[in-house]
Amino acid sequence: MSPSEAVTVGPRLRTKRYPLALFRSELHLVFGRARSWALLGVLAAVPILIGSAIRFAGGGGDAEGFLGQVAGNGFFLIVASLALSLPFFLPTAVTVMSGESLAGEASLGTFRNLLTAPAGRSRLLAAKMVSLALFCLAATMTIWISGLIVGFVLFPVGDVLLLSGTTVSLGDGLLRALGIAVLIAASLLGLAGIGLFVSSLTSTPLAAMAATFGTFVVLGILSAIPQIDVIHPWLLMYGWLSFADLMRDPPYWDAIGRNLLLQAGYLAVFYAAAWARITSRDING
Amino acid sequence: MVADATPNLPDITAQELLAKVQTAKVDGLSGTVRSSADLGLPVIPGLQGGEGGGNQITDLLSGEHTARVAFAAPDKARVSVLDQMAERVWTTDGKTAWAYSSSDREAVKLTLPAHQSQPEAAKPESYDPQAVAKQFLDAIDPTTKVEVSGTEEVAGRDAYKLRLVPKTDQTTVGSVTLAVDSKTWVPLEVTVMPRTGNDPAIQVGFSSVSFGVPAASTFAFTPPKGVKVTEEKVPARKTPAQPPKTLKPEKPVKPSGDRPTLIGEGWATVVALKGVKATGNGPLDQLLANARTVQGSWGKGKIITSKMVSALITDDGRVLVGLVTPDTLVAAAPKAPR
Amino acid sequence: MSTLSEPPVVTHGLTKRFRGGQVAVNAIDLEVPAGSVFGFLGPNGSGKTTTIRMLLGLIAPTAGSVELLGESMPKAQLRVLPRVGALVEGPAFYPFWSGQANLLRFDAADRTADPRTRKARAGEALERVGLSNAARKKVRAYSLGMRQRLAIAVALMQRRELLVLDEPTNGLDPQGTREVRHLLRELAADGTTIFTSTHLLAEVEQVCTHAAVMSLGRLVRQSTVADLRAELRPRLVVRTPDLGQAAETLKSLGVTDLKTTAETVEGDAGELPIEKFAAALVAADVRIHGFGLERPSLEEAFVALTGEGFDVAQ
Repeated sequence: MSPSEAVTVGPRLRTKRYPLALFRSELHLVFGRARSWALLGVLAAVPILIGSAIRFAGGGGDAEGFLGQVAGNGFFLIVASLALSLPFFLPTAVTVMSGESLAGEASLGTFRNLLTAPAGRSRLLAAKMVSLALFCLAATMTIWISGLIVGFVLFPVGDVLLLSGTTVSLGDGLLRALGIAVLIAASLLGLAGIGLFVSSLTSTPLAAMAATFGTFVVLGILSAIPQIDVIHPWLLMYGWLSFADLMRDPPYWDAIGRNLLLQAGYLAVFYAAAWARITSRDING
Repeated sequence: MVADATPNLPDITAQELLAKVQTAKVDGLSGTVRSSADLGLPVIPGLQGGEGGGNQITDLLSGEHTARVAFAAPDKARVSVLDQMAERVWTTDGKTAWAYSSSDREAVKLTLPAHQSQPEAAKPESYDPQAVAKQFLDAIDPTTKVEVSGTEEVAGRDAYKLRLVPKTDQTTVGSVTLAVDSKTWVPLEVTVMPRTGNDPAIQVGFSSVSFGVPAASTFAFTPPKGVKVTEEKVPARKTPAQPPKTLKPEKPVKPSGDRPTLIGEGWATVVALKGVKATGNGPLDQLLANARTVQGSWGKGKIITSKMVSALITDDGRVLVGLVTPDTLVAAAPKAPR
Repeated sequence: MSTLSEPPVVTHGLTKRFRGGQVAVNAIDLEVPAGSVFGFLGPNGSGKTTTIRMLLGLIAPTAGSVELLGESMPKAQLRVLPRVGALVEGPAFYPFWSGQANLLRFDAADRTADPRTRKARAGEALERVGLSNAARKKVRAYSLGMRQRLAIAVALMQRRELLVLDEPTNGLDPQGTREVRHLLRELAADGTTIFTSTHLLAEVEQVCTHAAVMSLGRLVRQSTVADLRAELRPRLVVRTPDLGQAAETLKSLGVTDLKTTAETVEGDAGELPIEKFAAALVAADVRIHGFGLERPSLEEAFVALTGEGFDVAQ
């Protein structure tokens, strides 16, 4: 005899499942906050700043690489902005969002409401990670779109010169830039995984953000020490610049694939650690 | 480049293998070459050659590099070195050769003299496994033990391993191994092992290769809009190629004065330069200050050693360099011209 | 109300020892009958909230077991908790969202909740706790009382078989408190079992059918409220200026446990025929300003059980 039959007025048995509702709700939480839009706004400003500097101050003409091509072809504002956001702006945004993810719920106390709802700890973690991944993509796509608009407004636009010295159509170039945005978003997943794990350890979002960013800085410093180059291929940012391989003719996939594998490895390790932590953690907050 | 499989191939002697290699002929190939070099050279930031050429060679002698190569008989070739967020391209269709660098967006056009027979002039030898392998083969003489040391898989192809071991203990070279494709007899990989240690000092080889003839368009280069083009003409009958750099890495010190003298032979060859002024800048001074001092009838000097390369810098401005032990350098010192 | 069904909340030897070694809950055996309004009483820090967190699977017991609606927790939490409405340790919300948005979020976390009826159910829940007018206001602007109501609304988003409420009237004004107690009685009348912790005895007296008392992590008592009252023996109280004389007379009549205050003499009359006492006192020249049996309050009973006083908040 199930208890629901015995209780005088039992609720109707709810047999249908809507497991994706939590994921939608997470997206609403991530993208329904002023702070997220502020972060995306900062990222959208990167192409504006770079574009204005080159257009109105006339700088960057002699610069090497993608930046030096912006003045001649506004298309390159997209690629240059993505490249220049990668070392600092994007990781900062990801750090803020991932550090907040679980620690934020714990500090508000909403964690317990979610768990008694019940969200299920594993599913809640999955929803957090999916929303973080989509934030990464939104972040790079913001730069892509902003770069496209600003590049087209401020500069002449035309066929795209690849690193290999061949020229492709603007459409082909835009597609490659889109690929770069996706690749850079994927490159941020390892860091997002670290942030998610750190966030599972504490109920103080600021502490989680600081610890995640600290980890990022330490990895960056390790990457810059030549004496330990044996470990460099295993550091988070080792393959971050491989996105530029999409600008070759034909694209060179090896380093890109290796970077994606490395990011997947970081993500798997830290996601598993976060899972172990979150499924055993006492929710006292 | 990791030998993760040892294919079963019919036995072959070293002599047969050498013969096959010498006569190897392909109509075309394309693939990706990886090189990694760890000569243990000291890093002297202030001493990188200012000129493009010197810079590139020291650059290629350290760290890891990836290049795309393509070749079509008899005289078409293309090498693209895939740098981080940049690319350097050398290509020739037999009549003209182009060098292009994406970072400064400059192209150099060389018009080759008619009937040029050695169009490889424009490409760096160290990136063509065939050329590198041949250098070694030419150097084989009684000083070297040559054997077929097994098989391995390189770039998905079954290959024989041809190992060359120096008979002298005066050199720092432990062995040189060529991986030779069992179908086309093209060397696919070269590995130089130091006498001590388990990590290769130099490894250059294909990570993927295909022996189809690449389309002619592969070797064409159209200077893109916005790229500065410099035209140069190669006068006929000039020795085209620079001396191969792989075996005898030059110190990144600009030799001033006469041509270098060679002392000794085979693996124990020492290159002697004279009239070199230590430029007196910080890093080199520091390096020398920490170096071991040696002296003899020839004078006094400092020895700098690394995994593969040793150098003796005498107080009177002579420099002896070789892939040899420090003792060999000291022994060669009296023969170095002042 | 009594049904034949299993008790919705059962614990056996439930224990929580925190990492510091402090034992917050010490081997308690709770049994909450179906259909009851169960008052979970105890002073602050007696282990009520820790117990509730263990009931709901938020923290893992060090020892012992929890069964909720006949299923083992926390193993069966995804099956059980949709049938349980919960409010744990005060309201917690996203301050940057409206009350309604908060409700929708927590409802969406329950995969059994039908998204098509979500908005309508949120509207009803807000209506029931009297927050309809504030539904679109940001929670940041809510008073503590409003947040408390919103927290109850979360528990009311679905029909529940069991409500586990931690101090549901905390922070409410007297009017709000009355409303919430009314709501609890209404829900109970519908057959929902209500397990509510409180440190307010008035709450237990007014709404609970059953009660359990926690003290220093131990369960010192659980029974029906009626039984608790019945056990409390009435005391004979004589209001008089002639304290000494009155005490002596009562003693001679067989009254035990005599206590003298500034204006009264009290004692345990047991089964004695007290209707004769008044005459005896008058005969002994005791001036009587007042005379009668007084039933002690639950508060006094719990003070006796726990050895501690309760906060008297209202």
